Amino acid sequence: MLLIHCPYCAATLPELEFAYAGEAHIARPADPSTFSDEQWRDFLFIRTNARGLHFERWRHVHGCGRFFNAVRDTVSDKFLTTYKAGEPKPELEALLKAAGKDAAE
Amino acid sequence: MTSEGPVRLTLLPEAARFSLRVRQSDIAAAARAFGAALPARIGQTASAGPRSSLCLGPDEWVLHTSTDDAEALQQAFAAIAGAAPHSLTDISDRDRSILLSGPLVEDLLSTGCPRDVSSIPLGAGVRTVFDTVQVVLIRDGVTDFRLEVARSYLPHVMALLAMANLELAVAAG
Amino acid sequence: MSALRIPGKGRVDHAQPVRFTFDGKSYQGLAGDTLASALLANGVHLVGRSFKYHRPRGVVSAGSEEPNALVGVSRGSGREEPNTRATMQEVYDGLAAVSQNRWPCLHFDAGAGADVLHRLLPAGFYYKTFLWPKRFWDRVYEPLIRRAAGLGVAPSEPDADSYASRYAHCDVLVVGGGPAGIAAALAAARSGARVILADEQAEIGGSLLAETGARIDGQPAWDWLAAARAELEGMANVRLLPRTTAIGYYHQNMVGLAERVTDHLAAPPQHAPRERMWRVRAGQVVLAQGAIERPLVFHGNDRPGVMLAGAARTYLHRYGVKVGERAVVVTSHDSAWQTAFDLADAGVSVAAIADVRAEVDSALLAGAQQRGIEILLGHTVTGTSGRLRINAVTLAAAELVATAAGRVLRCDVLLMSGGWTPSLHLFSHTQGRLAWDEASQSFLPGERTEDCHIAGAGRGLWGLGAALADGAAMGAAAARAAGFSPDMSAPTVEGDPAGSGVTTTELPGNRAAHNTRAFVDFQNDVTAKDIRLAVHEGMRSIEHVKRYTTTGMATDQGKLAGMNALAIAAETLGAPLPAVGLTTFRPPYTPTTFGAFAGYHQGETFDVTRKTPIDPWAEASGAVFEPVSLWRRARYFPKPGEDMHAAVARECRATRSAVGMMDASTLGKIEVVGPDAAEFLNRMYTNPFTRLGVGRCRYGVLLGEDGFIRDDGVIGRLAADRFHVTTTTGGAPRVLNMMEDYLQTEWPDLRVWLTSTTEQWVTVALNGPNARRLLEPLVEGQALTDEAFPHMSVSECRVAGFSARLFRVSFTGEMGFEVNVPARHGLELWELLAAAGQEHGLCVYGTEAMHVLRAEKGFIIVGQDSDGTVTPDDAGLGWAIGRRKSDFVGKRSLARPDLVARNRKQLVGLVTHDPRTVLEEGAQIVEDPNQPLPMTMIGHVTSSYWSEALGRSIALALVEGGRMRMGDMLYLPMPEGTHSARVTGTVFYDPQGERLSA
Repeated sequence: MLLIHCPYCAATLPELEFAYAGEAHIARPADPSTFSDEQWRDFLFIRTNARGLHFERWRHVHGCGRFFNAVRDTVSDKFLTTYKAGEPKPELEALLKAAGKDAAE
Repeated sequence: MTSEGPVRLTLLPEAARFSLRVRQSDIAAAARAFGAALPARIGQTASAGPRSSLCLGPDEWVLHTSTDDAEALQQAFAAIAGAAPHSLTDISDRDRSILLSGPLVEDLLSTGCPRDVSSIPLGAGVRTVFDTVQVVLIRDGVTDFRLEVARSYLPHVMALLAMANLELAVAAG
Repeated sequence: MSALRIPGKGRVDHAQPVRFTFDGKSYQGLAGDTLASALLANGVHLVGRSFKYHRPRGVVSAGSEEPNALVGVSRGSGREEPNTRATMQEVYDGLAAVSQNRWPCLHFDAGAGADVLHRLLPAGFYYKTFLWPKRFWDRVYEPLIRRAAGLGVAPSEPDADSYASRYAHCDVLVVGGGPAGIAAALAAARSGARVILADEQAEIGGSLLAETGARIDGQPAWDWLAAARAELEGMANVRLLPRTTAIGYYHQNMVGLAERVTDHLAAPPQHAPRERMWRVRAGQVVLAQGAIERPLVFHGNDRPGVMLAGAARTYLHRYGVKVGERAVVVTSHDSAWQTAFDLADAGVSVAAIADVRAEVDSALLAGAQQRGIEILLGHTVTGTSGRLRINAVTLAAAELVATAAGRVLRCDVLLMSGGWTPSLHLFSHTQGRLAWDEASQSFLPGERTEDCHIAGAGRGLWGLGAALADGAAMGAAAARAAGFSPDMSAPTVEGDPAGSGVTTTELPGNRAAHNTRAFVDFQNDVTAKDIRLAVHEGMRSIEHVKRYTTTGMATDQGKLAGMNALAIAAETLGAPLPAVGLTTFRPPYTPTTFGAFAGYHQGETFDVTRKTPIDPWAEASGAVFEPVSLWRRARYFPKPGEDMHAAVARECRATRSAVGMMDASTLGKIEVVGPDAAEFLNRMYTNPFTRLGVGRCRYGVLLGEDGFIRDDGVIGRLAADRFHVTTTTGGAPRVLNMMEDYLQTEWPDLRVWLTSTTEQWVTVALNGPNARRLLEPLVEGQALTDEAFPHMSVSECRVAGFSARLFRVSFTGEMGFEVNVPARHGLELWELLAAAGQEHGLCVYGTEAMHVLRAEKGFIIVGQDSDGTVTPDDAGLGWAIGRRKSDFVGKRSLARPDLVARNRKQLVGLVTHDPRTVLEEGAQIVEDPNQPLPMTMIGHVTSSYWSEALGRSIALALVEGGRMRMGDMLYLPMPEGTHSARVTGTVFYDPQGERLSA
């Protein structure tokens, strides 16, 4: 069972309070009617399926109720960071550097 | 409600309970209508007279008050609806509250709650799970907690608490 | 008292004898004994038969790694546990244990014929033999194998015990209560850290419990142990958990601990759980699991009486039991010499110590000489003899093994040691890397993935002093990492026995390969020959060798066999050992009961059962219930003598002719509030909501972004900025989650908030021509005339004196109302309506009648008539799409090529040729019943009922191009024969909707 840091509660809490919510940073287009069938297909179904670092969404469903974003390594299951919905994607290089420093300590 | 064991379990009578949702910019107006603080940090509580608030999310508070005061509270919020849009929804009957008290209360809660309940400060509250059920836990004292749970889950949660309480009685005995 | 029990010796209570039975025979043991030590004290080595060859087997070890001594323990009435390790089961007065895998009895087993046939049962036997003829598999092979295989007998009655679970949080979790673990716990606890120390044994102490010679900090080892335990017990920040096995090490220092609470008690107290599963979240973990002694691999190494040398020492010192009268020791490690010395000192005749090494430390040689023990260096074992217990061993000098006959030494126990394997199972659970250490010829912990520290023998350190020092250091390191300031001092040790050795593969022998029975895995009966055969047949990785031979796949998971199997495979391959790899250790560390995993989830609390406030009334009225998601709902209310058909027919008739009342409280309810509430609903649902008037309701269809139906419900507008949204019973949490998702992440600008109010309200549905007459006198503040309160209206008013939200809606086609009152008043309202309804012919109905009534009107149930691939148009709900809306969730998908394709499955009605035939839901539909198999299926039945109102059966079905087939005859081939049915519209009853106002 993972521990997940909720950026809204500012607390690291048991996974049982959270629900996974798919890949992050896939915004619904403002006007879907302008999308071609191929563009719409990609929006609906095509996902990164990353082996390694993955931007994904979680919801603190049994806590503050907020959806938020995370960077998690799908191989080790470890979270590198979590951040509030609407915030920009974090820089992966900097994150990896920070994680490497932690591991070395 | 009676339960054998070292922790006293009391089902509290229904009282007035509201879910308040309001944006950051309108918290001050809402707090004025409420007549007590609306703490900004998740988990914190505040109270004045019969009214108390617990922050459960960045824009969410659960408000408690006496049944007699419910209508006045609703009217106070209705008066600011235009200036400070918000949602005040009556959930008095949605949830039930169980009072748990006794020195082994943390052990009892640890049979179902994955959080470190000993780290919940006095006067704080959290929304979490007990077994698989979403609950709100409020710490009223060193050995006193309130557990709020949606009505239909009450039999399940009570059955688990009663069972675990008997088990604690064996260990303590 | 048996001559094998040394009076006064050990940690057992000589003043407290206990009686127990094994295979029906009564024996005496002492409090503190395990079943194994008590049987050994009575001279019983033979305790079971092996899995495949039914060979006689005896106790091999003194711990949880035991492969052979598996017994069934019974307390009666469902309290039966097969495959209990006799080395872990503590004796109590009245304990009843039986041996396993033998027939008719342990001493004569008919299945042992398999042993004679061993040459016909090689590795991979099952894969090779039972392939042909194919039809033999189900009828002959499988039943035969099932009868022959398996160990214990599964209990036939439900488990009568209860189980518990607990979450726990600590700064430092120490796994293993041996010297390293105790030192670690002390170091961490003294610094103030919250410490949990778990050990699988009945008594915390580990190897110290069998250590009598050494002195720690100037005290005898046992005195130091007593003081250390007392200190730990006295600290409020320490929790000691004996009889507790760390079964799995999961992410971020979550460790599962299975505690055996009552298995050692003669009379468990009432309400005590049998086991408790601890889910510990630790800041830091110290793994002090020690090392497991490795057997030697030689012909006849599985005979009862052949056991691990270290186990014999444990039985001697901890339990005061001599495992035999005349011992021979065979070893590749110094530690077995100490066992020989201790046994000799206790009066056991030790005939010889045979060491595979040519040179051994001179102090050991002196010790043996001093005790008159014959020393045979550079020796091997070529065989053992004795039918149910070893009576002799043949030893030979390794270099002469092929030519010389060897010496036969009489003995009643043969004690072996192949060195020690660091126990790294839990470390491996974390995906921590193991690194091969050439010097010690063992795998040691390498790169870590979790905040854990490995202490003592678990990382290859030998000896008491090293274990204590390392434990203290690791405990301190863990405490420091958890933010405490520990002290670094470690106890001093005198009289620490030496311990070095070499590792071996199969010992050299003098028998033909096909006739050598040198066991690697005792429990699964895998020999060295089987491992070599697997390699010769092409298995290159140890993972393949394991699966082909089943080595390491028994309940002991290869704790003894793993390294020997690997070494033999590597030798056969001619590859270095680490290149062949190590099989992956997976949780649980030792077999764990289902009960421990289930915890409180049995019986009444197996799963959540949600009940509405009306539930007690329904139960008292004899309702038959059905589960609907987590809820239990009343399905129908049979009167005496009625079956379901009769009851449902009566409930339907009454509702259509008078008035029916149903508990609809489980319907999901969401309060949508805020200035942008209407705009939000407009974007979420297919239907237009912005212009819905206050006091009016609208049926809403919710799609996924993929265009398929997710949910539906009636939405009422209570105020400009407040809506009461209803959802399906099962869909409520899903719909709320989906709405929150859009609101929080796509449209955070909208000023609207969602609150679940499902349980705030009790919802009573009244349907039927008399519904208004019944309700009217009870309602204040709202006229119920068609003009004042037409179909699809909502009003906040008072009903029977309670503040209420009153809806005029219908899911039956009759005039309908849904009364919502605060839940606390629900039952009172229900009872009041039930009484007032008597004069109006009121009948309470359940979900089954509700289904029939709605199907007669062609109203769909999302999830029954739709399945996640059904669009509104497919379901005949095209009218519910707001054509002029520029966007709503799923709108763009409705224009996708697949979703506008012709011949999509569409919902239609079906009426069977024979009106009495009620089709089976899920039945497949074909155009031509005479086509060859496999037939082309063009759809399936989604709903099917007997319609009391129509006096015939009706059905709804999803059929390809269904609406173009009106009037066509379709066919439903079923096992009992083919049914025919004509395609119709979906509205079977009152197609004009005249009854809504009747």
